[in-house]
Amino acid sequence: MNNKVFKLTTIIALSMFLFNGCATDDLEPTLAQDKPVEGSITSVGNLFSILKGAHSQMTSGGYYGQAMIITNEVRSDNCFSNGYSGRYSTQAEYAYNENTGYVWDNAYQVIANANIIINQSLDGLSGDLAYGSHIQGQATGLRALAHFDLLRSFGQQHTGGSLGVPIITQFKDESNLFPARNTVDEVKAAIYADLEAAFTMMDVAYDSKIYFSKYAAKALESRVAVYFGDWPRARDAAMEVLGSGMYTIAPAGSFVSNWGSKQAGNSIFELQNSASDNAGIGGLAYIYRWPTFPATGYGDIQVVDNVYALFEATDVRRDILGYQLEATGATPSLRNMGKYPDTVSYTDNIPLMRIEEVILNYAEALFEINNADPAALTQLNSITSNRGASAHASVTKQIILDERRKELMFEGFRFDDLVRTGESIDVLGSIQNVIQTLTYPNNLFAYPIPKAETDANSNMVQNAGY
Amino acid sequence: MKTKFSGILTLLLAFVVQLTFAQSKTVSGTVSDQSGMPLPGVNILVKNTSNGTQTDFDGKYSITANAGDVLVFTYVGLKTVEQTIGSSNTINVSMEEDASVLEEVVVVGYSSFKKSELTGSTVKLGNEKLTDVTVAPSVDQALQGKVAGLTVSSNSGTPGSTSQIRIRGISSITAGNEPLYVIDGVPMSNGNINTSGATSFFSNLAAFDSNNVESITVLKDASATAQYGARGSNGVILITTKSGKAGKTTFSFSSNYGFQNDAVDGPEPLTAAHRLELASEAYFNDGFFASKADAETFLLGGGAFAAWDAAGRPEGNWKEVIKNKDAIVENYSLSATGGNENSSFYTQLGYTSQEGTVIGSSFERINGAINFSTKLTDNIKLTSNNQGAYTYQDAFLERSAYFEGARSAPFFLSPLNQPYNDDGTFNEFGGSLPNPLYITKYNINDQTLARIVSDNQLNWDLGNGLSFASKFNVNYQVYNSRTYSNRNYGYGAATSGDAGQYTRNTVDYTFQNSLNYSFDLGENHSFDAMVLQEYSSNRRYFLGGYGENFADDGLFNLSSTGNPISIASNYTDFYLGAYLGTLHYSGFDGKYVLDLNYRYEGNSRFHPDERWGSFWSVGGAWNLHKENFIADVSWINSLKFRASYGVTGNANIGLNQYQSLFSYGVDYNGQGAQVVNTFGNNKLTWEKSNTLDLGIDFGIIDGAISGSFSYFNRESTDLLLNVPLSQTTGFTSQVQNIGALTNKGIEIELNANLVRSEDFNLSIGGNIGTVQNEVTKLPLDPNGIERTITTTTSRIETGHPVRGWYMPTWAGVNPTTGLEEYYINGVDGATTTDFNQADAVWQGDNAVPTLTAGLNLHVDYKGFFLDANGYYAGGHKIYEGWHRYTNQTNAYPIFAFQGLQSLLDRWQQPGDIARNGKFTSSFTPWQRHSKYLYDGEFMRLRTLTVGYDFKDKLESIGLTSARVYLRGNNLLTWVKDDNLKYDPEVDLGGQTGLETPPIKSISFGLTLNF
Repeated sequence: MNNKVFKLTTIIALSMFLFNGCATDDLEPTLAQDKPVEGSITSVGNLFSILKGAHSQMTSGGYYGQAMIITNEVRSDNCFSNGYSGRYSTQAEYAYNENTGYVWDNAYQVIANANIIINQSLDGLSGDLAYGSHIQGQATGLRALAHFDLLRSFGQQHTGGSLGVPIITQFKDESNLFPARNTVDEVKAAIYADLEAAFTMMDVAYDSKIYFSKYAAKALESRVAVYFGDWPRARDAAMEVLGSGMYTIAPAGSFVSNWGSKQAGNSIFELQNSASDNAGIGGLAYIYRWPTFPATGYGDIQVVDNVYALFEATDVRRDILGYQLEATGATPSLRNMGKYPDTVSYTDNIPLMRIEEVILNYAEALFEINNADPAALTQLNSITSNRGASAHASVTKQIILDERRKELMFEGFRFDDLVRTGESIDVLGSIQNVIQTLTYPNNLFAYPIPKAETDANSNMVQNAGY
Repeated sequence: MKTKFSGILTLLLAFVVQLTFAQSKTVSGTVSDQSGMPLPGVNILVKNTSNGTQTDFDGKYSITANAGDVLVFTYVGLKTVEQTIGSSNTINVSMEEDASVLEEVVVVGYSSFKKSELTGSTVKLGNEKLTDVTVAPSVDQALQGKVAGLTVSSNSGTPGSTSQIRIRGISSITAGNEPLYVIDGVPMSNGNINTSGATSFFSNLAAFDSNNVESITVLKDASATAQYGARGSNGVILITTKSGKAGKTTFSFSSNYGFQNDAVDGPEPLTAAHRLELASEAYFNDGFFASKADAETFLLGGGAFAAWDAAGRPEGNWKEVIKNKDAIVENYSLSATGGNENSSFYTQLGYTSQEGTVIGSSFERINGAINFSTKLTDNIKLTSNNQGAYTYQDAFLERSAYFEGARSAPFFLSPLNQPYNDDGTFNEFGGSLPNPLYITKYNINDQTLARIVSDNQLNWDLGNGLSFASKFNVNYQVYNSRTYSNRNYGYGAATSGDAGQYTRNTVDYTFQNSLNYSFDLGENHSFDAMVLQEYSSNRRYFLGGYGENFADDGLFNLSSTGNPISIASNYTDFYLGAYLGTLHYSGFDGKYVLDLNYRYEGNSRFHPDERWGSFWSVGGAWNLHKENFIADVSWINSLKFRASYGVTGNANIGLNQYQSLFSYGVDYNGQGAQVVNTFGNNKLTWEKSNTLDLGIDFGIIDGAISGSFSYFNRESTDLLLNVPLSQTTGFTSQVQNIGALTNKGIEIELNANLVRSEDFNLSIGGNIGTVQNEVTKLPLDPNGIERTITTTTSRIETGHPVRGWYMPTWAGVNPTTGLEEYYINGVDGATTTDFNQADAVWQGDNAVPTLTAGLNLHVDYKGFFLDANGYYAGGHKIYEGWHRYTNQTNAYPIFAFQGLQSLLDRWQQPGDIARNGKFTSSFTPWQRHSKYLYDGEFMRLRTLTVGYDFKDKLESIGLTSARVYLRGNNLLTWVKDDNLKYDPEVDLGGQTGLETPPIKSISFGLTLNF
């Protein structure tokens, strides 16, 4: 090789590796939309952002945006699925299996984000640390709510078993990546503990109805206690809420219209939707009714015909109901027209706790503790008197449950009320036909653990019957 | 001064003299080969001019030139001949074989070698093999059946859709299995670029006109693919575009016009009369009525059946009305090529328009190419290949059972609904499925792509075997999509219409610098060495918005929406860097060949500590026919043993998976928010494949029979696997490097030229490939239990193929009860009607064919020709999707949606032997089992072309050659399993869907060269 070529080669080789050479740093990807979990929480504002994220997750169609509420209505004597778009007929007919899918993943996602907030040390964060503590209380309350939703969906309390769901208190806990199920009692205890802690950590000064709040913790505690028949706890928690004086029963004149407005006086905690942030046609409005005539859309969830007769003519709650025509000449179908009414832009907020439920919890607890307690009747009639309904002359368990059914209809309470009182449930087909009657206890009262979970985690025990 | 002046004057005079007196004359003659056979297509060029011609089919030529000019005769594989024009007007030339260039040169990775010196499994297809599929504008579809061990399955028959290609099976479970596409030496991603998961697939490869593709080379083994390091594991498809040919400018025009329909008509849906019968039966079976007649009376007493009855029981035949019968496909291409010794060019303009076989679906492409190369100096050459295209697709909702999708209608929309009113207008009926005719006419779903690929290279010949090359490639893509739902009818009505618009710009830059050194050591040892450095950056910018509520019809843009619902923009990028060294050794005139490749590559998908990886390969070949003891065997023309082994990688996973990340893509109460959305794994690194490839290539009896035989064994380790997590973590899976799987198989390619003569030729060829896939290692959980990945129909478990079919086994319909039964243990013995009690078991096979074959036939006789190409796939099973709604005896097909006529074979009374159980009005949940799993075996006549080649018969009208032909694609399909009514050619998910099935076409084509 002659000298000239050698020189040229050297120059070229050098230039090529020097000017175009690439090193590890040249291959660093840009994180334009995401941030690393480790190290990116530096302020109380970051905690608030995660808290909002957790609330947003609860508004999804797989959780309170639709599934959590509809699954419990459609399995009760309030509603059935007409199979119009094929939605919720599996749930209505209790025909689910381990592949059906239900709130399991959604609830644990909320818990994951809540745990990041709860376990973040406030030391060294910038911002109002007292507010940081309040946010940690809110996250603790959300964690309790998610655990309760999991427990009432998958726990064996109404199947004759004792298994609950795994209690998760830490994000990415390497020692607990394959958790086994805790017992129902353990989960219940964890929920109570979280709610007590949450109540202590929160300060009403920071409260907002669209976030988990101080008295939402107590309202939830009364709900959980009623569910498990822990009556003194139910009474005490409800009393705290009522005693706060922050919430007022919706008067008859605004009961229906409240459903179209936000943050009404009776609301304790509601999930915020807006025209640009909602579950859309995967939400509640679109499944309860048809948005147009002739009917297009889903509208699978129809109301059982005999529900209409439950209400007195003067009862404003009857105005929630309505008949909808699918097409000219078709038979009108009874529907929930009043709750979550917006089928156009789906802006309705989703109330998760309102004062009327707490009053009913309180009345039931008072009645259970002492059948003769006149306060139970007083509390119950504080509802009827605001609904244009006749006052009750006396109280029985049945009267309380009927009043609950009328007040909380379509809000996802009915299935739990039936099973916690040991009722048999008629399973309805697509034309309101009774397919079978399920007696209490029953394996079908607990959802199967999703197959993806049992496959990934051999510590997980499936519910009986699946 | 005087001298100089007279010099100029002399020159000037000479010029004038030349102009005036030069003996311009016509030289003609015949060019033949050594044996005296005439040689058609020899390029003849007057040296140092662009004046040139070609020999005709009889080896004859004529050219106008001057005495003293030098004619240069060139022909691939023959030694170039130069002849100075003397007094004679006839110059006959005999051309000799040029041993050094006789052989076809094949591009393998970053280098090109003679075919006999390839050490790996490589298949090269020329342009004529790539342009025989009219039904798909994208060139990848043409590969089906032509390369052993390569399977192509289209995602949809909608024009402009993508295909899935697998070379030698599935090498990865979670990371991608798509081969790497390399266009003119630059790796670039090709695939579906639709930003929506609902509407039609949209391929950016469809932006390339196959008319511009010179050849495609498929690299299957590590010997070549190791040059592509971390992206080579799934095989490599090298696309080489046409370059200019020196000589007189020649033009080529080709056109093709045809009609298309679905290749397989698909299952027949129920009629309205069927529905009444079955619905009545269901109510009777459920005990709601004492007789079927009572049930029928009830059904006709109100609701949809009553209205239908009153109207005289018309049948809404949705399957027919959504068809776009005899959909037109047309494409045109005009190209020109020419040049001289120093420069050459190729330029092309193409247009393609293709209607879909369903209403409201079409594809259009306009494209151009300018490829040129020029010598900047004696030893520096500039090459620039530039292609640009604009493609448009009228898409529709087809990737699931969309209620507004036209393809859903035949299987989901009740025939009780009529398409048209009596006055011929669209019937605007209610229900969850709106009238698809109305939706198709008034709603919009379209997407466009502008793609420009500019590839620029400088080659510097430094002498003494040294050369330097520098390449810069830009791949720029602008994608737009648009949706619009009208405000009057359908799902847009509730919100007074809605519109969305999305755009994504993708900019990829690739730089390559390489230094090549060819040298000989002694007489018998030659070497080619190369070092190469490569860097590529890939950036994507996305912007989109969605709004609702239009004030009036005829407004489609976001500015006209009253309620802007959402905006989105994001940016992602990834980077690759690599250093490559290769050494090619050829000893004793190519008798012994050795290839060594080493690549060191970095990828931004991994943590900085794990970012770089090493890949290598060794390949060897032994050309036995060059040994003395074989060289004497006259019937053996070539015989080569080859072997290669190497390590390649796969990094085809989502971006930024190694970090635990918060995503800010959520909001609450109108405020930004964040949730944790990536679990993260800092230890992530390459998935690796170790591939062994052994083969024999041969040609015998004067090349009449040639072929190859290959064996491969590819073991993939450290699989990038989405390991399922307990969902209590808030996540469903985490990417980990765990697991291993193997693919092994054999491949045979054979070609036989049975008759070779001037007037009659007959050749037949075929290929067969097998692949056995097995998972050999999976992660264990703390209890030592293997973490299988199980879906309702498939499972990933060691000892079985990836995603082998796994589900309960159907035991038939009980003749006494009419109920469908399943084997409790999944195999035999006791049965149950309770689906939840039936064990899921292995059903054999997965969705990927384990045996594929292609067969081709060529006949020509005095200008008439026939080409046929068939494709076979077998050894796999496919599953019927959507059967819960359309093919089960429950309430869905008779009340909510619509069913198939296969349901008529159902149990009605005790003693009935039927495929389907008794009808019920209940809505049964998803129960997937072996009844709906079918043998996937099928054969298809991919191409059948008959035509006439005018050769030079039309020279009198200025055509150097011309061809006309009639072509059919997918004219015949044979399916083994009678219960499989859908087209058997489904995507590799293995489930039948509602996408457009493959298409058959009949087209007329014309090619003119002048």
